[in-house]
Amino acid sequence: MAQGEKQRSVLRINLDILNAVRDEGDAKPTHILYKANLSHERLVKYLDDLTAKGLIEMKQDGENRTYNLTTKGVSFLIEMRRAESFVQGFGLAI
Amino acid sequence: MATGALISFTLNTLCAVVALLTSYYAYRVNRLVANQVVGAISLGFMLLGIGLAVDAGTALVSGQTLVESLHPRVIVLLSAATYLTVQMVAYLVIAIGYARAAYGGQAKTAVPAVLVGAGAVGLYRFSLLSYFVVLILLAFVVFQGLLLHSGQKNRFSSAVLLAFGLILVAHVVLLASVITLGPLLFLIGTGIQFLGFLSLLIFVVRSEVVGPR
Repeated sequence: MAQGEKQRSVLRINLDILNAVRDEGDAKPTHILYKANLSHERLVKYLDDLTAKGLIEMKQDGENRTYNLTTKGVSFLIEMRRAESFVQGFGLAI
Repeated sequence: MATGALISFTLNTLCAVVALLTSYYAYRVNRLVANQVVGAISLGFMLLGIGLAVDAGTALVSGQTLVESLHPRVIVLLSAATYLTVQMVAYLVIAIGYARAAYGGQAKTAVPAVLVGAGAVGLYRFSLLSYFVVLILLAFVVFQGLLLHSGQKNRFSSAVLLAFGLILVAHVVLLASVITLGPLLFLIGTGIQFLGFLSLLIFVVRSEVVGPR
């Protein structure tokens, strides 16, 4: 049951990215990369996935790229926070 | 209807509602997180809710508590046996969920062994066996909970731990009531079990409304 010691799940990584994007607001990839503790290659893959799912949106301003949560992303994070609370209550981790 | 049966009906109905609510919420959470232990919790509490509803219905229709039905007047044999079986399987599913997460897949071999053992004896012995098995399963879940609660990460919520702890104490009392065929002890056990489910309800409502702190 000590799942906290195991490798992070895909869901956990996605949540870390979404939390980083939410906390930053107009989050730059380098900030997300740092906060979510990912390599650049993996971050790009996850950001593409989350964008395709409509949970985050990218803004391109010249060479600068920034990410924000969509309304769907905000709702998803709220649902996941509740789910995480429930799961943790039973001694488990996402 | 006798007062004992009325109390048993009321408390077990409320417990069944809480168990089914917990099952539904665990099912919703499992759709998001796809965790096998959460799946086991969902299935376990669904079975528990059905079992408690069967027992509540039995008390309503027969006007007897489960312990009273263990006397020679065996009108409600089938429903009592159903409740005991479903309850035992429910806790088994929850405990196996935790056991598989903690110790791997070998734990599931315990299921047929327990059911075969249960089916081989009469209702009175089956009641004893059922409450005893549930007691062991709950002790396992509470032990796991205590370990996690005292650890650094993935803490068991105090409310969930209290809930399982109270349900464990309730089953000690319920086992004693079956041994002594004492209706009062049975009602006390049912009351303690209700407090356990109340604690679980507080946790479910808190995690639904408030989310993580």
